[in-house]
Amino acid sequence: MKPRAITGLGVASALGTGAYETLGGLADAARADAPRPAVASFDASAYGDPPIVEVPGFDPTKHLGDKGLRTLDRLTKLLVVAARLSLHDAGLKKDGQWAALAPERVGVCCSNAYGSLEAITELDRVAVLEDARYINPAKFPNTVSNSASGYVSIWEDLRALNVSVSDGNCGALDAIACADIFLETGRAEAILTGGGESMSEALFLAFDKLRVLGSNGAGARLGEGAAFHVLEPLERARARGAKVLATVTGYGTAFIAPKDEVTLLFASSEALERAIAAALADAGVTAKDVDLVVSGISGIARFDDEERAAIAQAVGAEVAVAAPKQVFGETLGAGGALAMSAALAWLDGAAPSCLVSGSAPSEVDTVLVTAVGYYGNASAVVMRRA
Amino acid sequence: MRVFITGVGVVSSIGLGKEAFFASLAAGKSGITPVEAFDASNLGRSNAGEVKAFRARDHLTAAEARRMGRCSQMALAAARMAIADAALPDGALSGPRASVVLGTTMGEADVLEDLDHAWIAKGLPGVRRAWIPKYGSTLLPIHVARALGAEGAVLTLPAACAAGNYAVGLASDLIRAGKADVIVTGAAEMLQELQFSGFVRLAAMAPAKCQPFDLNRQGLILGEGAGVLILESEAHAVRRDARVLAEVGGHGMTCDAYHITRPHPEAAGSIGAMRQAIERSGLEPGAIDFVNAHGTGTKHNDSAESKVMREVFGERRVPISSMKSMLGHCMGAASALEAIGCLMTLETGIYPPTIGYETPDPECDVDVVANEAREGKADVVLNNSLAFGGYNSVTCLARPGKLPPPKVTAA
Repeated sequence: MKPRAITGLGVASALGTGAYETLGGLADAARADAPRPAVASFDASAYGDPPIVEVPGFDPTKHLGDKGLRTLDRLTKLLVVAARLSLHDAGLKKDGQWAALAPERVGVCCSNAYGSLEAITELDRVAVLEDARYINPAKFPNTVSNSASGYVSIWEDLRALNVSVSDGNCGALDAIACADIFLETGRAEAILTGGGESMSEALFLAFDKLRVLGSNGAGARLGEGAAFHVLEPLERARARGAKVLATVTGYGTAFIAPKDEVTLLFASSEALERAIAAALADAGVTAKDVDLVVSGISGIARFDDEERAAIAQAVGAEVAVAAPKQVFGETLGAGGALAMSAALAWLDGAAPSCLVSGSAPSEVDTVLVTAVGYYGNASAVVMRRA
Repeated sequence: MRVFITGVGVVSSIGLGKEAFFASLAAGKSGITPVEAFDASNLGRSNAGEVKAFRARDHLTAAEARRMGRCSQMALAAARMAIADAALPDGALSGPRASVVLGTTMGEADVLEDLDHAWIAKGLPGVRRAWIPKYGSTLLPIHVARALGAEGAVLTLPAACAAGNYAVGLASDLIRAGKADVIVTGAAEMLQELQFSGFVRLAAMAPAKCQPFDLNRQGLILGEGAGVLILESEAHAVRRDARVLAEVGGHGMTCDAYHITRPHPEAAGSIGAMRQAIERSGLEPGAIDFVNAHGTGTKHNDSAESKVMREVFGERRVPISSMKSMLGHCMGAASALEAIGCLMTLETGIYPPTIGYETPDPECDVDVVANEAREGKADVVLNNSLAFGGYNSVTCLARPGKLPPPKVTAA
């Protein structure tokens, strides 16, 4: 792909809300082991000390004011806050007003995997235990998968396209591919690209029941968060005098199905190897150029093992591999976006943390970001220092 | 690079397969009947375009049917019909140059309903672990790619009621950009109780029938189904000497950024999307012969859409019709099914009727194809769609050879 500039970042993650809070926190990997505050997004009193990482003290009113938030779900608030921060970071908005480009020329590509789960389970409960006639119509739109992404456009007045992507763990990287093609075809001049996922009781229970959660590397900690990166064509970003945080220069994806008829949850190192090869070729770099791999390794062994094997095969056994999900938790549809945010910090000179293999490179110019889906797909993105 | 449609598959309330679907559309046959999938008696509404004739095992193996929800089952069935229609040989879809891009609103809604109901009724121990991974809209293209052997991108675009158009649009962009040779695209949606109740609670559902553009229209009627299209690059289609059903022209995508469920009353976004579709096809508005309306039958939608027609086409009254009068609103699947309906128009010159049209509405001053199919020029048509979230999308479809040569892509 042509180099796409990242000109702005907005993040709400386990390390806090804001662009630089998140990046600063990453350098201090010890914070991942800090005691967790009590679960805030649902009543977890029946579940002991669940392996959950939330966005701490998330207070959307600080960023959005206190009007109009009542019927919005948690995912929507996380995404709108991240969007607002990214627009200001990119200089497209200043104090809430447009400062560069026009609303008709700014779009959204947003990944999410299970965002409507919270609303659907809540309304199902009302319908079953009371009566379907009592479900709150103001909350009904939240049952539709793209509603959170739609609210981002509404709150921030982004009138070029809005495209939601749902591809599990690969979604936020796949959103890059969509944004790239929409920039290439002139459908927008800047696209907020990223994703979000929010904690809910149903999501926690589903993962808990699948026996994939745990702490200290034995199982994933379930996370939440949202991140948007403002993507622009590099020359145009430079022409408008925007600061360029890094460039995105390559993308690849592949899908390989299980051979038997029964398996559903599945990963193969081969799919990620292909995705990595495609991404490196797309970026015009080789495996030797990769200084750091920012992986999706989360603590779920059967997926992590395939991801490690693919990285070793396609990039090399010696390469430094970071696993920011140690800090962020498994954030599903937001995962690739938070990994890219972490990569920004490391491209910017912060010492890489969360390393699971290799030794920290002295300088990071080229990062490979990887993601492995739960059903056989895998994606990869190449980022470079600006 | 031109993008061709070489095969289509349909699961709908008015027919399974292209031939049955086309025949029903031309005849103005309604698929709207009392719902059997759930008890809607206390909601005061009971009709929907429910697909009663679909049996998964007619199209899927037992193992396939077991691992999927109804939405994916319909998607895969339609995909298999589309492959047969395209006469794609075995193996043509295997490998990294074949992708699957599908749209939906809620995806595997029955799987989640089962999970939720078990949790509510029996508590957590009542939830079967093996069901959990069956939920997620991610799964639609995964299931289809797995069954067909495709190993390129697998993408779900949850673009609500415009999802079919979004999928076809992105798929055509991917092929034009050289990212794939063949893409299985379209959308699927299943009728489900919570979604039905939600539309009743939004006061958006008509009592019995859907009457787009009628003065006395009372809202939408829900529907379900799947529409799948095989998109091929010109080079790929020529190489295998494929029969070309239609060419995908340009498409437009905008966002109202106005309201989560209602279209913008001035319809600026929708107007912009339609103009983009025309301009990106290298055409002027005068080249458009017919518009398939989003036409949900709600007050807001149909008047906004009429405004779009007047703004884009001026004095010229381009015939417009809404298949939702027959199919109901199939949500994510709607614009995919309607894209396939547009192919009938391109192939036969028959504009499908808007049935149940009784009283003209001055707010909807458009040339509705009322009650009976009409014959007319059909070289280039537009497929219009709007969606929750303020999403607008318009796709241009044309008879082969009727679009100007594609321009070199501008950055």
